[in-house]
Amino acid sequence: MSIKTAKIIFWVGSMISMLILIILTFDSMGQMAVRTKEKNLSEEVVAGKKIFRKYNCNDCHTILGIGGYYAPDLTRVYRRKGAKYIESVIMDPENTLKNSFRKMPKKYAGGYEVTPEEVKKMITFFKWVDGIDTNNWPPQDHKEKTFGGNSFYQNNSAGGTNDLTLLKRKGCIDCHKIRGTGGTYGPALDGVGSRFNLQEIRKIIKEGKGNMPGRDISEENLQTIGNFLIKQKGGQK
Amino acid sequence: MTVFKSQRVSYYYFVLALLLFGLQVLTGLWLAANYAFTIPQGIVDIFHFGTARSFHTNLLVLWLLLGFMGGAYFMIPEETNSELYSPKIAYIQLILLALTGVAALIGFSFGWTQGTPLLEIPPLLDILVVIGALMFLFNIGMTLIKAKERTVISWTLLAGLLFLSLLYLFGHPFYKNLSNEFYWWWWVIHLWVEGAWELITASIMAWIIIKVTGVDRAVVEKWLYIEIGLFLFTGLVGTGHHYYWIGTPEYWYWWGGIFSALEPLPILLMVWDTYTHIKDRKNEIINPVVWTYIIGSAIVHFVGAGIWGFAQTLPQVNYFTHGSQVTVSHGHLAFFGAFVLINLTIFYYAIPKLKGIERFKSTLGLWGFWITNSFMFIMVLAFSAAGILQSYLERKMGLGYMTAQAEMQFWFQVVLVCGIVFFIGTVIIIYDLLSLKENKAEA
Repeated sequence: MSIKTAKIIFWVGSMISMLILIILTFDSMGQMAVRTKEKNLSEEVVAGKKIFRKYNCNDCHTILGIGGYYAPDLTRVYRRKGAKYIESVIMDPENTLKNSFRKMPKKYAGGYEVTPEEVKKMITFFKWVDGIDTNNWPPQDHKEKTFGGNSFYQNNSAGGTNDLTLLKRKGCIDCHKIRGTGGTYGPALDGVGSRFNLQEIRKIIKEGKGNMPGRDISEENLQTIGNFLIKQKGGQK
Repeated sequence: MTVFKSQRVSYYYFVLALLLFGLQVLTGLWLAANYAFTIPQGIVDIFHFGTARSFHTNLLVLWLLLGFMGGAYFMIPEETNSELYSPKIAYIQLILLALTGVAALIGFSFGWTQGTPLLEIPPLLDILVVIGALMFLFNIGMTLIKAKERTVISWTLLAGLLFLSLLYLFGHPFYKNLSNEFYWWWWVIHLWVEGAWELITASIMAWIIIKVTGVDRAVVEKWLYIEIGLFLFTGLVGTGHHYYWIGTPEYWYWWGGIFSALEPLPILLMVWDTYTHIKDRKNEIINPVVWTYIIGSAIVHFVGAGIWGFAQTLPQVNYFTHGSQVTVSHGHLAFFGAFVLINLTIFYYAIPKLKGIERFKSTLGLWGFWITNSFMFIMVLAFSAAGILQSYLERKMGLGYMTAQAEMQFWFQVVLVCGIVFFIGTVIIIYDLLSLKENKAEA
């Protein structure tokens, strides 16, 4: 091969790729306005985004999977945790994350603390981000419809969609431990049936309690989870 | 001895780069400790992980760029067969960039940040960065314009540096839409490391190979053309592997997947042509350390950027690994192989020349090489183990984030131990480079 051929390969190769990238960028920009629901992008959302940057949240947390890997992804934090939890963890991280082995600052670089008005704006921002069409990413927040449109959550357990599987799919074990698996934010669910009656359990799931957000849940799923939890008897805390 | 007097400016770039390298690794140890143990609330409230992370990444970029700039100031006089346009500009530029760096780190500690990951430097300081970059480009550009000789290597180096500076600008307007922000953010991050920086790396590599092996320039430059052509062909559209999940259309699965799957090819070609040039060498091996770093750089570049990158670039896989410790494993090995080792290669080539040393003792240099490379690799395996656990437990099983992190904690402790040994290797390299002496015993 001569240097001339090499030169041609360089120019043709790089220019073709550059051209494709530019064309696709133009097309993507148009589609993204729809996919991100830009019509809902209010001034308050933008204000929330600025506050999100002000406290450098993005260097510990990822959002859309980008940023620091030290703390949970925030793409779906609004549907995952709800406004009440977000407010509680930002305003009072010490108590909210009492049982967590990784902490979140109360005071940020320079000694700044987040104000209640700022939290409200950030929640509006998270609510908007929650509406972005991310092709069903992250998988754990799109359990009904994951990569390629189908769900692997439905068939990765012998039990189908009942009992424990449903607790996993609905994200209960993000915060609660049961039979040794799950989070430590909320109390363990072993023995929950001895502490509450069915009525109370159903109420807590639907309306929340303390820092726990209430859930939109179908009657069928509520029944399955309620009936499962009421059977968890014993002397746990 | 150096051929041109103005090459001397590069020494100060190298020294500062090396010191910042040490500092960067040190901040990395603190980050690993944050993962491996519980840091009490009192410390988190003073210096939280995010601030430390902005130190770690900004120091990385700063020292690598100072190394590249120093490298350019060393190479360009020899390539153009002329003195630099203005050594004075080079010194002022170094002081400006160093002060900007210090101001940025102090600023981060007090909450003065743009708040964008990896691009935390606030707008006011960014202006200083841009001025520094313009001074540099002006200086190199004027040297090229006034010179009689302009080689393919000089052009590639200048193109890489120009491309790098232009792309930096995309990360700085305020975008209201988060998805748009990250879309352009990748034009800085991805097109830097898989575009502009690869041009710089490839040209430095080609130049050093010509210098140490004595093989025909025409052959090296021919391969350089093909390599950078392939880098840009695969890397530009390859940006699409970052556009799977950020609010971008689904067709990026195809464009991103296919083009980025080809990204290892130019690196493989680089390994192959480094190997053949070294095999066909016309010069004897004077300083084995330089040769070790050249070969090491080519191989680790391929493993870290090529193999570790390919492992998670297809959308079917990336769906589970995106934004996990798998990304971290790739990031560490790719940066180390592609950019840290090429910087150390040019340091080991240029610093002896700047000090008028012909033959130096290789013991410490080789120890440093093997310690850093071995422990970086073990560390990357530990990150990968943590990342695979995370992908499986959190994304596939649907466990909560912290529940999965608890299972991964052992691997973070392994990372910390590896990091400490890696730091020792770093100190050896820095000490060795700054204290090189003529080796009379072996001469």
